[in-house]
Amino acid sequence: MKDKLKNMLSSFFISVTLINIAMLVLGRLLRPDQQFGYEVFMYPLIYGLIGMIPALIVRDGKELTVRQTLIREAIRMVLTVVLLVAFIFGGNPIEKDTVITAVCVAVSVVIIYVGVVVIGWFLDKKTADQLTEDLIRFQEKQQNL
Amino acid sequence: MEINIRNIEPSQKEYIEIGCWRVNERVNEIVRFIKLRDGHVEAYKDEKQYRIALSDILYVESVDDKCFVYLTDDCYESRKRLYEFEELLPSENYLRISKSVVVNLMKIEQIRPALNGRFLCRLSNGEDVIVSRKYVPEMKEKLRGDRR
Repeated sequence: MKDKLKNMLSSFFISVTLINIAMLVLGRLLRPDQQFGYEVFMYPLIYGLIGMIPALIVRDGKELTVRQTLIREAIRMVLTVVLLVAFIFGGNPIEKDTVITAVCVAVSVVIIYVGVVVIGWFLDKKTADQLTEDLIRFQEKQQNL
Repeated sequence: MEINIRNIEPSQKEYIEIGCWRVNERVNEIVRFIKLRDGHVEAYKDEKQYRIALSDILYVESVDDKCFVYLTDDCYESRKRLYEFEELLPSENYLRISKSVVVNLMKIEQIRPALNGRFLCRLSNGEDVIVSRKYVPEMKEKLRGDRR
């Protein structure tokens, strides 16, 4: 449980950072003249929290293979896109401009989601390399007993 | 420490005797090592019974209440439960890495990241087994040992 929470917090903060970058890029491209109040600082946190919901809903009951995990991640990603697009654009009239913005947001969410998974993988790779080093040392020690 | 090896008659039962002032960790390590070399487990394949040396086991997997013992090129079924294997296998070299797998640490060649904080162990026969997130801290502790 502790490790799951640690993992979720790590994903949350990576997401929030990447959402900030996405908002900056999308804002510059689509609405360069728009001005915001202080409440805008809340948005990355709210979007980050919404992005965590699929991880809570789609849970693993049993040990998944790598392929099953990839499929589950794809499902979570689609759910995240749907949730965020619904949250941001839900209730707005469907106009050409809104659709373009929604598509850009959806693409950004996909990029952020993949980014979070890739960053997590690189952090795990560092741990795996350390574990392999420790393993070699452990095996040498056991063989010399 | 003096080591004596004495030839005995083929009709006699082989034995190992340790003479020590007191049973300390060093003596226990020797005993565990001997047990590992000498230990075996009964397993089945095609309705025939086999004796498998513990040191040859790559990993033991539990699938639907059945236990399977994996060697480099072979797989045998065992009537023991996974928790019984955990007790039987020497804890120095074997480790539970998921709900259903106990692995021989001496047969792992490399550890690689899987997704979501899990890891893949590449075994000496090229197979991969998954280390669940829950069991990663235990693995870290085991492998780091006295380096911490």
